Amino acid sequence: MYWNKSYECMPREKLQELQLERLKRMVNRIYHDVPFYRNKFQEKGLMPEDVKSLEDLQKLPFTTKVDLRDNYPYGLFTVPLEQIVRIHASSGTTGKPTVVGYTRNDISMWSELMARCLVAAGAGPHSVIQNAYGYGLFTGGLGVHYGAERLGASIIPISGGNTAKQIMIMQDFGTTALTCTPSYAIYLADALKELGIDPETLKIKVGIFGAEPWSENIRKEIEKKLKIKAYDIYGLSEIMGPGVAIECECQDGLHVWEDHFIPEIIDPVTLKVLPYGEQGELVITTITKEGIPILRYRTRDITTIKPEPCACGRTHLKISRLQGRTDDMLIIRGVNVFPTQIESVLLEIGEVEPHYQLVVRRDGSLDTLEIKVELSEGLFSDRISNLEKLEKRIRDRIQSTIGVSSKVSLVEPKSLPRSEGKSQRVVDLRKI
Amino acid sequence: MIRQVSIFIENHEGRLNNILKILADNQINIRSLNIADATDFGIVRLILQETERGMEVLKKNEIITSITPVLAAEISDDPGGLSTLVDALTQAKINIVYAYSFLPKNTDNAIIIIRVDDENQNKAIETLENVQGVNLLDRETLLLK
Repeated sequence: MYWNKSYECMPREKLQELQLERLKRMVNRIYHDVPFYRNKFQEKGLMPEDVKSLEDLQKLPFTTKVDLRDNYPYGLFTVPLEQIVRIHASSGTTGKPTVVGYTRNDISMWSELMARCLVAAGAGPHSVIQNAYGYGLFTGGLGVHYGAERLGASIIPISGGNTAKQIMIMQDFGTTALTCTPSYAIYLADALKELGIDPETLKIKVGIFGAEPWSENIRKEIEKKLKIKAYDIYGLSEIMGPGVAIECECQDGLHVWEDHFIPEIIDPVTLKVLPYGEQGELVITTITKEGIPILRYRTRDITTIKPEPCACGRTHLKISRLQGRTDDMLIIRGVNVFPTQIESVLLEIGEVEPHYQLVVRRDGSLDTLEIKVELSEGLFSDRISNLEKLEKRIRDRIQSTIGVSSKVSLVEPKSLPRSEGKSQRVVDLRKI
Repeated sequence: MIRQVSIFIENHEGRLNNILKILADNQINIRSLNIADATDFGIVRLILQETERGMEVLKKNEIITSITPVLAAEISDDPGGLSTLVDALTQAKINIVYAYSFLPKNTDNAIIIIRVDDENQNKAIETLENVQGVNLLDRETLLLK
């Protein structure tokens, strides 16, 4: 099922023609309307006319979160405020938030892309969508909301948190689709189990989860616990919000809506564009946005572009599920470690429930990594030696796959913090 | 065969108390207790007066538990009483994984709880049944002691 077949399944050659035409128009606009971009072009000795092909994009300057912050709040807007109909902001971990503005057309485009995403994940006009993404400055809530209305589904704007109410509404309102973060989905599933509610008695069929990286095993866990199909959605406020990319029924990578965005993968150190299939930092250029068009935005998200055609019929390129963030990356004794790598190891060992926490300390001049893992019932043995063997097995596997030594500590179930939003999986106690 | 409740706990203050409180609040009597500790965690092994109800309330409180089959042997509370038992197992080449005392209320004899490897369970029973001065107890009898 498609929402907009002519665009979603557009032959690639035609799609690229459309991209180039839109890219040229976008570059022209930002050069003339935004001093920040004009200065950057001039520093590089570039003119908008230098963009003659899609490959020429590689010559253009990057935009970073720091650039957005430096131009706080409205410095990168290309239209006067009277044309902006909505303002969102992403929480700034340091200082000021990042502010984005949308024109009426931007909201319409976002709704269209979000509707495509909902349909790709199996929702339709008859769906009852329980939207447990937060409403407010965060783009998650309203992004899904407008897409669902465009689609003609019934949206329940419950927003995040209040688990008891979520469950009551899920039962009473006949929710068929759930949208929230994957960690909250697990939290909800566990809460259902505690209340003795069998998910089979609910009408929920699909879940669309995003706003934080998650693994294939977490997908399996959610699908098993909630008895649904779970789809990954990607987005970020700087680019638009949720709906930049979505998994289709093949559940093998997320289609990026290329008629509106151009994705690239770069090496985060050399900043060189990497060939398709190689893992690196995702860079996105918006080619239709009016309020705040963004050139080559460094997302800090680690992924790969999967160029092979998809069985679903959509022609837009796919990215693999996110492998982590360049700024989540821990450097432990000189080795780059992504929390998701550790997660994969834990899940490979398989019997361990994927609840863990990484604690990094500095002992003298040496970094130490402690991995706290919640023990599951299936793994419990009443012999100390078996549990110590399990700790050793995890430790050895981490050492051989990631190359860092660690201390593995088994902890009691539910003893690690569960956040209702993004999980807090890393505690860095190093004082440098 | 005796059903021992084994419980995983982290090795820090308050964790054992948490478990004991759950059992106390539910009026479940502990007949014997043994704690094995590693660096960061421990295993608490209990013989409960009401095993099933005990498991149920512990699970309800998210405590990781399992049932381990163990043997209970009544021996005379005299020098050499335990030695007779261990001697018989040694000669049968059966390794004792761990053992601890049970606290009887209604006998002057001593009762010892023994865990052997799963594959040696039956052999251990056969061996001990033939040792004079050792009385293997079944579940009901043990809990009456």
